[in-house]
This record gives sequence, structure tokens and C-alpha cells, in this order.
Amino acid sequence: MSAALALLRIALGGLLLWAGASKIPDMASFAESVANYRIVPAPLVPAAAAAVVGIEIVAGVLLVAGRLARAASLVTALLLAVFTAALGIALLRGIDLRCGCFGGEEAATWGTVARDVVLLAAAVAVFLKGPGRLVPKAEGTLRSGPAAAPRSFPAKSGSPGT
Amino acid sequence: MRLALETASLLLAGTVGGLALNAASPRPAPLSVPIHSAAEAGGGMCAVPGAPAAPRARRIGVEEARGHCEACTAGFVDARSAAEFAAGHVTGAVHLPPVGHPDEAVVIAGLRAHPMVIVYDGDYSCALADEVAARLRREGLPDIRVLQGAWPAWVEAGAPGSAGACPACHAGGGR
Repeated sequence: MSAALALLRIALGGLLLWAGASKIPDMASFAESVANYRIVPAPLVPAAAAAVVGIEIVAGVLLVAGRLARAASLVTALLLAVFTAALGIALLRGIDLRCGCFGGEEAATWGTVARDVVLLAAAVAVFLKGPGRLVPKAEGTLRSGPAAAPRSFPAKSGSPGT
Repeated sequence: MRLALETASLLLAGTVGGLALNAASPRPAPLSVPIHSAAEAGGGMCAVPGAPAAPRARRIGVEEARGHCEACTAGFVDARSAAEFAAGHVTGAVHLPPVGHPDEAVVIAGLRAHPMVIVYDGDYSCALADEVAARLRREGLPDIRVLQGAWPAWVEAGAPGSAGACPACHAGGGR
């Protein structure tokens, strides 16, 4: 379970990192995608677009590294919740737009919404269950075999490391 | 409390980092220019939704257009969005998206001084330039051409370009 959570966290972080990095070559285009959602006032659109890219990258790095993972997963969940709601509302209103997800020309569809819901669920799982661990804790390693215990000390009942 | 502090720090670091990355981007989002949705600004799409298809205007090749630009014998009109215009445009071009903007009368009056007007947009298959060309023709401008290959071809040819908002047509706020 712990390893599965860790893998989920790393995959989510990697995807977020990719999503942010792929927008850097054409920030002007991403800002237009943000404007097309019509949820941010026009004067704030460029700064909001830049902030979203930076937050995606910082949260992605932290999730991959397993540092501040609860805060990173919380921010990721909030971002994804906003994206999902904005996409859903735009599609319900019949607005034809680019999703702006990975810096390309990908059109927003209900498939995009479903993908965001899956990612949102992953972020919520990491937030609620914790970041997980790819390798067991050190104490588990000590318990795993007599090689970890110093040979010069005879094993005592209940002593650590046995 | 700790989670709130960590979250706030992350958001702050991300925002600052994002602004720095924007400054380093080859096509940065212009922070001082408001960006409206395509539905409001007439940019960002290759057609104005609901508008009938504009007739195809006469084309002009990049090299010929470049000659006119360097000799100042043609006016240039950028039909893309305000953000794209601000990020880079033909030197001396004015911004005029298909839906216009508050100062379009001044822009069109200025274009009348040129024997030829060359309109361009941002995509090889984009129809925005044709829409603006049709509009300028209705205004009575005599010789309107659309740049073949659009802005990407102009950039590829290394023809003169500059960046920044259009001072002549965005005195009211850069739509």
C-alpha cells in the first residue's frame, strides 16, 4: 500500500512537472487558453497563467521528491478541482476551446474532464493517506535478518534490532 | 497550521518561479497587457464564431512583403490576438483583430495613407487575415493583400519584427 502510494505520488508529480514545463516555450499561448476559460479578469490573466505554470512545477518537483508532500498534494488537488470545474462549465456552455493542459493545441473534451477527475482522485489519496514509501523504513531492514545485528552482542529478548 | 504555512510557501514559491519562467520564455505572456478571451477579443481562433466565411483575399509572398516593409511602401495589419501582437509582430504593424477595438477608426485612417495594406495572422490556414482584409476592403482601402504563410513564415524568413503593445491602437487598454 505504501509503495503504491509512493508510485502514485511520483507519477502525479511527474505529470504535473511535464504539464508545467511544456508550457514554458509558449507562455503567451497558455495565457490565451486561460483567458478563454473566462474565470480570471483580463488584466490578471498573464500573471495568473505564469503563476499556474510555476505552481505546477514546484508542486510536481515536491511530489516527485516526496518533500512537503501533503502541501503539494493539497495544492495539486485545488488546481485540478479548479481545472475540472472550469473545463466542465465551459463544455456545458458549449464553449469550444483548447484545454491548455500540456502546452499544445489539445481541444477540451469530456475525456479531458475525466482525466482531470482521475488525477484529482490521486492527489486527494496522497493528501489523505500520506506520501507512501518506495522502500520500507530502516527499522524494518534491521528486523529483516540477523546480519543487521552486531555479532559481538548476544541477542537479548526484546532488544532492538533483532 | 503547519500545513497552511507549507501550502502558502508553495504557492508563493510557485508564483515567483512562474513569473521568472515567464520572463525567460521565448514567448512570454505580456504581464502589462490584459488578455481577453477569444470571444471578446476576436483573437486566438481562426474564425469569429458565427461569422460567415470571408472571401479569400489576394496573397503576397514574404519576400515581396518584406521589400514593402523595408521601403515603407505598405501598411501592415496584425489580425491576431493582442497577446500575440505584443509578443512579436511585423515592424510598424498595427493591431486590428476581426472584431475591431475602440480605436479602430484611428487605425483605419492611418492605413489610408499607404498605397497597399498587408494583413497577416498567426497560422498558415487561419482565416482571421481574410476577415480583416474583407473588412478593410469594405472601408474602401484600395489594395489589400494577405501575407502568404502568415507570421510563422515572416519569422522564418528573418524579416523585421518587433515586440510590445500597439501604441496607436491600444491607448484605451490593449484589447
